[in-house]
Amino acid sequence: MSDVSRRHHLVVRITHWVNAIALTIMIGSGLRIFNAYPAFARKGDTFCCYPFEGHKIPDWLTFGGWLAGARNWHFAMMWVLVANGLVYLGFIYLHGEWRDLVPRRGIVHGAWQMTKFYLALRRDHPAQDKHNALQRLAYFSMPILAFVSVLSGLAIWKPVQLAPLTALLGGFVWARYWHFLAMISLVIVTIGHVFMVFAVDPYALRAIVTGRYNESKSPQRRNARPFVNLRAAKPPLAPATPEPPEANK
Amino acid sequence: MSRIWLPRRRHLAEGIGVDRRAFLAAGLRAGGGALAALALAGCNSKGPRGAQGTLRAAERWNERVERKLFRPTARNVPSTRAAAAGLKFPSYFIASEMPVWDEAQRGVWRLEVSGLVDRPMRLTLDELKALPRSEARLEHFCVEGWSAIAVRTGVRLSDLARHVGISPDTRYVDFQSFDDDYHESWDIESALHPQTLIVYGQDGEMLSPEYGAPARIYSPVKLGYKNTKYLTRIAFLAERNGGYWSDQGYEWYGGV
Repeated sequence: MSDVSRRHHLVVRITHWVNAIALTIMIGSGLRIFNAYPAFARKGDTFCCYPFEGHKIPDWLTFGGWLAGARNWHFAMMWVLVANGLVYLGFIYLHGEWRDLVPRRGIVHGAWQMTKFYLALRRDHPAQDKHNALQRLAYFSMPILAFVSVLSGLAIWKPVQLAPLTALLGGFVWARYWHFLAMISLVIVTIGHVFMVFAVDPYALRAIVTGRYNESKSPQRRNARPFVNLRAAKPPLAPATPEPPEANK
Repeated sequence: MSRIWLPRRRHLAEGIGVDRRAFLAAGLRAGGGALAALALAGCNSKGPRGAQGTLRAAERWNERVERKLFRPTARNVPSTRAAAAGLKFPSYFIASEMPVWDEAQRGVWRLEVSGLVDRPMRLTLDELKALPRSEARLEHFCVEGWSAIAVRTGVRLSDLARHVGISPDTRYVDFQSFDDDYHESWDIESALHPQTLIVYGQDGEMLSPEYGAPARIYSPVKLGYKNTKYLTRIAFLAERNGGYWSDQGYEWYGGV
């Protein structure tokens, strides 16, 4: 009997890790670019919605060394990120994996039940397919946030040549803001994702590297919530067979 | 490079002096070992040295994309609701002191128009002002990420190019400044964009020394650093000629 299944196709595994590296460089270099003007207001104007104006991002979170270096990285890595994203989306569309990621009827109820379970307001793990309702929402939101990042990024890059796009986003200042918010949202979702891998389903690490996943150790089988039932129980020992009575020998 | 006068200017230049290898070596000596070196290579570094060639290739690729995207019909029309910068418009220059044309020392300021032209000229400010005037409210985009709105008054470079008769071999234009050796060269298409102006007036007044008097080049289709102030020469060329910031690592094209 084998509970080990192939969970992630090679294409999904490669694009996942290329994305992890490219996104890290995009965010690091983007923050370095942001530090050249850590604010949103147009000169001589005010901006409603950013309370940390003038406060730089700590250097250790940035990448590129200086503004030109960061820009060169940002404008090179953007192509990797977009090409990789298109390969991923194209693959999951053609291969059918999109069905595991698109929210279905009852997603809100499912998400609430998962939340209740994680908060220990519910004893048993809700039934799930490949992903639970919260995972579906998180993984579905990422391409959307990426799309907002790319669109707002284009609007900042070419505010004159792509003036209609920039205007659609509310102008250059707001396009920068949407770009920043999309990045922050991606960071939040990613931190949640990585936290849940280590706190709930460390067996998923094997799946995203080798592709293989032991279904008997899934969070649902383990009834796992963060840091609870983190490891699969050892298989019970075979029941001790009683010694045959000596007397009958 | 020259001493930095205004704090803002530092953003563009900072990091040039950082020797990453020395930084890494110090980390290693401190006993951090290979792990520390790896962490330092990731945090606030310029990235692996071997990647520089790839980054330059990406820059050339981006230039091709940007030139494909370029439309002479594209216009910068800032929202009328957006406030103008006025005196909050940042003032940048390279020299240690604000460059001011000293007539007593250097004679009357003239703008040299030369290179691949039929009729080279050396225009005084009055002669420049006598040419057809163009005025537009434009949003300026700085490489640092800020933008600012001002009304620019001057002469369309495309009008001047017709006036002097540029050769069909002209592919590039170099804008030379009297602010130290500052200059930046452009592709001819961007230079002939109808919003590219030889500016001598800003917000209804003659250009002040803070903003590049007596004249500067200005176009919303280029990032701020491409827009040479304290203009002394416009040279129409067959070859590109680099530029002050482009030679230090900023994109040569710098299109918006």
